[in-house]
Amino acid sequence: MSTTSQKHRDFVGEPMGDKPVIALSGIGETLGKKLEEQGFDKAFVVLGQFLLLKKDTEMFTDWLKDATGANSRQAGSCAQCLKEWCDAFL
Amino acid sequence: MSLFSNMSAEEISYLLDEHGIKHGPVVDSTRNLYERKLKEAMAKRKQAKPSPDKTFYREEEEEVTYVYRTPTKSENFMESRPYMRSKTAEELEHSASYSGYSRSSEYRGRDYDELSHKLPVGPKTAPIRSGQDAPKAPKSPRLIPLWVQFLCFLAVAVFLYFVFSSMESSEPLKVIE
Repeated sequence: MSTTSQKHRDFVGEPMGDKPVIALSGIGETLGKKLEEQGFDKAFVVLGQFLLLKKDTEMFTDWLKDATGANSRQAGSCAQCLKEWCDAFL
Repeated sequence: MSLFSNMSAEEISYLLDEHGIKHGPVVDSTRNLYERKLKEAMAKRKQAKPSPDKTFYREEEEEVTYVYRTPTKSENFMESRPYMRSKTAEELEHSASYSGYSRSSEYRGRDYDELSHKLPVGPKTAPIRSGQDAPKAPKSPRLIPLWVQFLCFLAVAVFLYFVFSSMESSEPLKVIE
């Protein structure tokens, strides 16, 4: 992840507040809908899952791929942005 | 999945620990992931089952090499050698007394060059002397490297240690003075 997307920088740059899941880097409308169906309607709920997995990006990537059918790049991007957000604000 | 679905969260976390998987709390949202990880780990462990056999073979190989090495190093082998040589010496004497000089000279020619040097000493006394020398001849080329190498190494090590210790002890004294 040498280059980060604008979405990534926007998310990591400030507290997430009540942002929706689609604000997460790597989560588009399709994946966002799948997450919401499983109860992950807010970005902080996904953050909760990330924290439950002890901020393990590999575990979180696997979970996201399994839960939403995301590909490795999408899941990795989401995990990376949550990890950086935790490093900045937790 | 059916294997783990009946298990409690504690059992699953215990299994995860056993398989060396780092994990957080096993709750509804993480349970599926951990079950899958456990399944993968168990599949890997089943695949890895042949490998312990391989390690067993390796251990056996090591034991075999160890057995081969020990006789060369142990003194029992060194002690057994002279007995072997003394027997051959007796045979030499017997062969010399029974079949004559020419036969014993053949023996000596086969065995060692040193014996051939002692050939001109005497036709009948030579086999006996050479027979006595025979056990010494195989001893010396084997004993000298072993003991002398050990002694040389120890001497050099002790010498270097003394030099090193004296250098260490003398320098602070100069500083103090």
